[in-house]
Amino acid sequence: MVIKLNKNEEILYQALLDADAISIAKNFRSVGLPTRRNESYHYSDLKMLLDNIGQIATTATSTGEFAFNIANSFQLQIVNGEVQILGDKPPSGVVISTSNGGMSEPNKDIIAQLNSALTKETLHIDVSENLETIIQVDRCFEGKAALHNDGVEIYIANNSSATIVEVFDGSSEEHLSNSASKLILGKNAKATHIMVDISSKKTRHLQTVQYEIEQGANLHSLIIHAGSSLARTQLFANFNGENAHADFAGLMLVDADRHSDITIDVAHKVPNTTSTENFKSVVRNQAKAIFQGKILVAKDAQKTDAAMMHQGLMLSDDAQILVKPELEIYADDVICGHGATCGELDENNLFYLMSRGIEREQAKAMLVRAFLAEIFDPITNEDLYDILAGIADDWLKE
Amino acid sequence: MLEIRDLHVSVEDKEILKGVNLVIPKGEIHAIMGRNGSGKSTLSYVMAGKSGYEITKGEIILDGVNILDMEPNERASAGLFLAFQYPIEIPGVATMTFLKAAMNAQRKARGEEELSTPDFMREVKQAAKMLEIDNKMLKRALNVGFSGGEKKRAEILQMALLKPKMCVFDETDSGLDIDALRIVSQGVNALRDANRSMLVITHYQRLLNYIIPDVVHVFSNGKIVKSGDKSLALELEEKGYAQYDESAA
Ligand SMILES: Nc1ncnc2c1ncn2[C@@H]1O[C@H](COP(=O)(O)OP(=O)(O)OP(=O)(O)O)[C@@H](O)[C@H]1O
Ligand SMILES: [Mg+2]
Repeated sequence: MVIKLNKNEEILYQALLDADAISIAKNFRSVGLPTRRNESYHYSDLKMLLDNIGQIATTATSTGEFAFNIANSFQLQIVNGEVQILGDKPPSGVVISTSNGGMSEPNKDIIAQLNSALTKETLHIDVSENLETIIQVDRCFEGKAALHNDGVEIYIANNSSATIVEVFDGSSEEHLSNSASKLILGKNAKATHIMVDISSKKTRHLQTVQYEIEQGANLHSLIIHAGSSLARTQLFANFNGENAHADFAGLMLVDADRHSDITIDVAHKVPNTTSTENFKSVVRNQAKAIFQGKILVAKDAQKTDAAMMHQGLMLSDDAQILVKPELEIYADDVICGHGATCGELDENNLFYLMSRGIEREQAKAMLVRAFLAEIFDPITNEDLYDILAGIADDWLKE
Repeated sequence: MLEIRDLHVSVEDKEILKGVNLVIPKGEIHAIMGRNGSGKSTLSYVMAGKSGYEITKGEIILDGVNILDMEPNERASAGLFLAFQYPIEIPGVATMTFLKAAMNAQRKARGEEELSTPDFMREVKQAAKMLEIDNKMLKRALNVGFSGGEKKRAEILQMALLKPKMCVFDETDSGLDIDALRIVSQGVNALRDANRSMLVITHYQRLLNYIIPDVVHVFSNGKIVKSGDKSLALELEEKGYAQYDESAA
């Protein structure tokens, strides 16, 4: 079957043909970009939302500057899809390499498929120690508006641990970036994985995140959307080994007429695994924030404990927050729950702060910071905490 | 000096303050006593600038300036302080961060330099000691998990740090045990000075044994119906408010 492709889809289709990705091209020819009829894209109809898709980005040189500067970090850059290994030697216990083409075994989702087919080079980070050094990977979308594809595969070996920070940034053009990250946690491995989109306000940011969590592993994942006219992160997590735990957190800071979507799909496939989901969004103007969370508990996955929460804060009446939780539970001895709240800043709280002399804007900022405390408090690295909390503060001041 | 002139205030079309007139000269302490629901807290909120009240008539003048058009923070910087009847719990806002923000905001409004951290710490420690406030309490989020009495003490701590010239206490004594009442009163009395006026709203004559007022006002049905010296409080305690209901009717 083929459908009528619009001009943006034609560009993607042609790019797939040029990349010799025949079977994906064929698939794309029959489905096109996801529309609202696709459940996961119900509130983010990409066929409608994505316009002005550019040609595949050409090589750009690294600016040599990094978005974040965290003490004791090892920094890498991917500029317009190309991995740049700058001067520094990786810390002990870390192997950096690249492979041609996209990510291995991408998710079946069409955006993930497009990413895998169009990515020229994948960055591999293999960790085999308990790392003190933070690994930072900056994606830079430089030069004129273009289509960017890239991928990072991280492997944390058994009994090893690391903090990985991925930042998305770049020139103020109407880029479309389609990124992928895969993090595999070996047995008893531990990871903190932070992804921050601070792209220019014209950029469209799509990201697919995949987690494979083995026995006894522990993951803290945090997604922050604070840039881009359109940001959509889809996260797929598989618990493959028992006694593993993951905390999934996220924050959407959305203003103007921007659109932000975090869609997460957590599969507890084996017994005795636990997860929490703690997502927040703060919206103002005509912005839109979307959170969709799905928890799947397989038939054998007894004693799963999974809790999902989204809390929204509306700073203006015209903004929107849309939340869709979904539980799909096949085991009987589990604890699963979801909750959602949505509200405005409490006038009584605001008045109390102001009655002590604090100006309205500062009082608001204090209350928003308080609302976000649960997101930032688990970040123990002080530099990182300051940077991330600073992003929220700056966003508020805009 | 504070002057309230013929203040009329409605909430949702219901008139709650029905012509309040009150003058508190510099350095004086006045007390207001009155039945539940007579409008005492409404008066204190309107003074502090809380939204949701429609001021249909009247003025509130602090040192020659009508404060009714000011934002709550501007009133605070002009020297007004309200100790809340029900202090608000704000999870996620650290008490110390809040205290520093408030002190610095007022300093900024007055064109003064920000406090250095050591100076700030010193001032807080001193005030906390006077009010017998445990350091542990200061490490928590603002008012969160504080007992009723602790919240009231924390209000007085804020007042001691902000050094307002017009203090309004809305039932600061309710919920305090006997020791706490003594400590809080000492705290208030320590701040008594010739340049500072105070308005004490209370239900109990007992407080006025500790904080001795210059004038006592009886509040009934949205206005002051009688004023007198401190003996008026004793008389009220004995005879109740019924006589004033009739005069208001
Ligand atoms: N926001 C509001 N909406 C509706 N009615 C209100 C509001 N605020 C106050 N009122 C009403 O106004 C009247 C006065 O209330 P207020 O709290 O000022 O009384 P009070 O004298 O402080 O009483 P108490 O001694 O119990 O503290 C009450 O009848 C109360 O129900
Ligand atoms: Mg009251």
